[in-house]
Amino acid sequence: MSITDIWSIMPLLLLAVGALSVLLLGAVMPGRFGTGIGVVTLLGASLWCILTPSQAGVPTLGVSLTPFARFFTVLFSLTAAVVLLLSRGYNARRAIRGEEYPATVLFAVFGMAVLSAAANFLPLFLGLEGLTFAFYFLVAIDRERPESGEAGLKYLLMGAVAAAFTAFGIALIYAGTGSLDVPSVMGALSQSGKVNPLLLAGLGFLLAGIAFKISLVPAHLWTPDVYQGAPAPVVAFLSTASKGAAVAFLLLLLPAAGVVEPLRIPLWGLSLLSMVVGNLAALLQRNLKRMLAYSAIAQMGYVTLALLSGKGGGYGAAAFYLVAYTAMNLAAFGAVASLTEEVEPGEVEDYRGLGYTRPFQGGVLALAMFALAGIPPTAGFVGKFFIFAAALRGGEIALAVIGILTAVVSVYYYLRVVVNLYMRADTGNVTASGTLPEMVALICAAAVILFLGIYPGPLLELIGMFAR
Amino acid sequence: MNDTILSLMTFTPLIGVLILFFIPKDSHAIQRGVAFATALATFFISLPLVTGFVTNAEYQFVKSVPWIAAGPFQMNYHVGIDGISLWLVILTTFIMPIAILSTWTAVEEKVKEYMICLLLLEVGMLGAFISLDLFLFYIFWEVMLIPMYFIIGIWGGKQKIYAAVKFFIYTMAGSVLMLVALIALYFKAGGGDFNLTRFYALSLDPATQTWMFLAFAFAFAIKVPLFPVHTWLPLAHTEAPTAGSVILAAILLKMGTYGYVRFAIPLFPSASEQFTPLLATLSVIGVIYASLVAMVQEDVKKLVAYSSVAHLGFVMLGIYALNQQGVAGGMLQMLNHGVSTGALFLIVGFIYERRHTRLISDFGGLSKQMPIFATIFMIVTFSSIGLPGTNGFVGEFLVLIGAFESNLRWYAVVASSGVILSAVYMLWMFQRVMFGELDNPKNKTLPDLNAREIAIMLPLVALIFVMGIYPTPFIDKMAPAIDRVIQQGKMKQVAAVVPQMPMVAPGVDVTVPPAVHK
Repeated sequence: MSITDIWSIMPLLLLAVGALSVLLLGAVMPGRFGTGIGVVTLLGASLWCILTPSQAGVPTLGVSLTPFARFFTVLFSLTAAVVLLLSRGYNARRAIRGEEYPATVLFAVFGMAVLSAAANFLPLFLGLEGLTFAFYFLVAIDRERPESGEAGLKYLLMGAVAAAFTAFGIALIYAGTGSLDVPSVMGALSQSGKVNPLLLAGLGFLLAGIAFKISLVPAHLWTPDVYQGAPAPVVAFLSTASKGAAVAFLLLLLPAAGVVEPLRIPLWGLSLLSMVVGNLAALLQRNLKRMLAYSAIAQMGYVTLALLSGKGGGYGAAAFYLVAYTAMNLAAFGAVASLTEEVEPGEVEDYRGLGYTRPFQGGVLALAMFALAGIPPTAGFVGKFFIFAAALRGGEIALAVIGILTAVVSVYYYLRVVVNLYMRADTGNVTASGTLPEMVALICAAAVILFLGIYPGPLLELIGMFAR
Repeated sequence: MNDTILSLMTFTPLIGVLILFFIPKDSHAIQRGVAFATALATFFISLPLVTGFVTNAEYQFVKSVPWIAAGPFQMNYHVGIDGISLWLVILTTFIMPIAILSTWTAVEEKVKEYMICLLLLEVGMLGAFISLDLFLFYIFWEVMLIPMYFIIGIWGGKQKIYAAVKFFIYTMAGSVLMLVALIALYFKAGGGDFNLTRFYALSLDPATQTWMFLAFAFAFAIKVPLFPVHTWLPLAHTEAPTAGSVILAAILLKMGTYGYVRFAIPLFPSASEQFTPLLATLSVIGVIYASLVAMVQEDVKKLVAYSSVAHLGFVMLGIYALNQQGVAGGMLQMLNHGVSTGALFLIVGFIYERRHTRLISDFGGLSKQMPIFATIFMIVTFSSIGLPGTNGFVGEFLVLIGAFESNLRWYAVVASSGVILSAVYMLWMFQRVMFGELDNPKNKTLPDLNAREIAIMLPLVALIFVMGIYPTPFIDKMAPAIDRVIQQGKMKQVAAVVPQMPMVAPGVDVTVPPAVHK
């Protein structure tokens, strides 16, 4: 491993070193610089990805910072930076102390960056498990509260099963093809003649494991409980970056396979079930975070629809939607986090009249709801537009129509939040007023939602560099 | 200047919104003033459109700037107007200051937010009328929903939340299907941009046309609203605050009929032809049914709301006659309905502000107490009924002539009874509210209209007469564009339908060249 090798994976090293130094510093000077160093590290890693020219990968490491990896590393780093800004005030108010929190967030981003830079199934798996491991901590970090502990246990148990599925899938793939190299394995899939059954079985197991991560129906059962129990900033991170990483996993595999025909039927079913079940179940929820959990399930159904319309430009659409979805969920959970004092306002009803008493957070939450519902001029609309366009172009007409009809159903529950924010009288339940870092984080998320909704061109060009 | 004037007009209200953000929460007078001044400025900016409009079928004041270019897509910020959209744009900029002025005393709470919603709504409506890029149109079309949803939901009556959500979901359900059709249409055209004129030139096979037409027509039918998807309208109208009802009736509903003229008919002529009997039947049912329902309403506002459904049924009938008189009548009736129903909602607002009730039975004999109000109300009622000399007459007359001369003859015959019914319900209502004994003691102290209220009504009353006595300038400016629509509607029909003659109803002479209608 030479200096050039180290140079070429600098962002990964930055993240790892940042995570360790935050942890060590916590032992020496507790409670002072954790968030600051974390944010600086994350910004540094993203700047590095944006500014330095592309370099050849390191075959010995199995990772290479391709434009794809850079894009996702930047996305995950910025997401984590926003999450850290959101967490500071929240953790202080809810007495979650210690440098473990920012260090774990950085470590999770490290896992995600490794995953998106992987050219081989081993770093892919390590990255995925690394980030999942970080989330086992984060979900249960508020360990004094039983909900948080319960959520952590649920996530751990289900996560372990999913990890076993993924690992077994990779083992089968290796047994079937004798290779762990992603392009060559996936290339074998599209070759004519009969497909290796071991490879197919391996991919099936892999897909089951990933479906858990993205929380696609029927592997979604953990999602509502974990979202409800875990602290809001953690959920903001979990619902955006960890799902984003799992989608990036699929984005690494599927385009390399050329034609996704053998995977089309399972993806089709997952997408259909997620869109329908997610949206219908969300209608019944009274708890905001639980509702957003089902909404996330449905949103991931749309992303899956994009993934299986690869030949219509779906991969680019999926990547775009991921960015939009990240901004929307950060805004939604960020607003919840900044409105939290001792207890989180849980029920949708608790948000009554907040559009007037907390105009800023209320406005951001309402914007996030409109965006998630896919109403222009927001990123959510543009993202959905490209997904449905890709689906129609790729020939998934039935699924596109079902998807768009379930999107109409979703309008009802998203609007219910807006109704409570603006059309009902204040209950005076919420006393938190938000800190400056939280405001900055929310402004960033809201600005991205609006900017991508009005002028998505630059991001689309960027995505066009690595996906069609 | 010529190519920026449309954009300038459309986005001027946004400047007002920005200013409003910086005005303290409690300075209601300044907030109202800023909003009114912005709307008035928008109106004055829009006036050169009328004077500078050259009477031909071309799109004018066109501006096209690349907006999104990615992957297979190319969206442009492409705006322009022709004779069809010209008057609808002017109607919008004309109604907005009036609507804002009407809220002076009606809205006392959250004034700032209200004004912001109204101005944002104006941006959406103007944008939808001037868009010549289908994607841009769709964006503006949806953008309109959000401020209207807030206007109904925050400042509305008792059932405001139900009304607002119903309004939103109905409109959204229609428009997402339109979005699917729009994307499919784009791919059928084989890439390129979303330029409307490019889509006009396509010849699609009848089966594709049918599906796409149904999707578009459904979206527009909800907005018109056609029977049986009209149920959101009476509710939304009744629950919305006065300015909301005025804008909803005067402008938002026109989006639906405008959609038929601009998109559904010229884009999918043969499918449109195929579904003419269905749409004409629904329009006529709408006319008769809504008139009958209006007759038994006890709430004045609900009555006016149902009369809207009936009037829009007339408009649709005229458009589907697809000849010069019919479409011109339909277009004119769209403007008339904007003026007269807008005025009616303002009138309902006046009495509601005074008495906080809208039940017909609570009134009676008001003409003695409020003579100015009675006069204006009378004129507006006549206009709504379509009495000769007022604008309503010209529009309805042209529609009926047009329909009678087309193959919708029997529909026209049935629909004419709607004219009589409208006289019945409007006059009966007028009589019960304004004449008779002034027996309710609460009505004995009602003040007559004040200067502001008269100032609101005067331009509308003037327009009622101008358009009733001398409608030629309005029709002349529209005529070439209408001819073009008719030609598009029939020309491609000839091409697309002739090979399958059985689809054409007997009696339709498809071989007659469209120029004959001129």
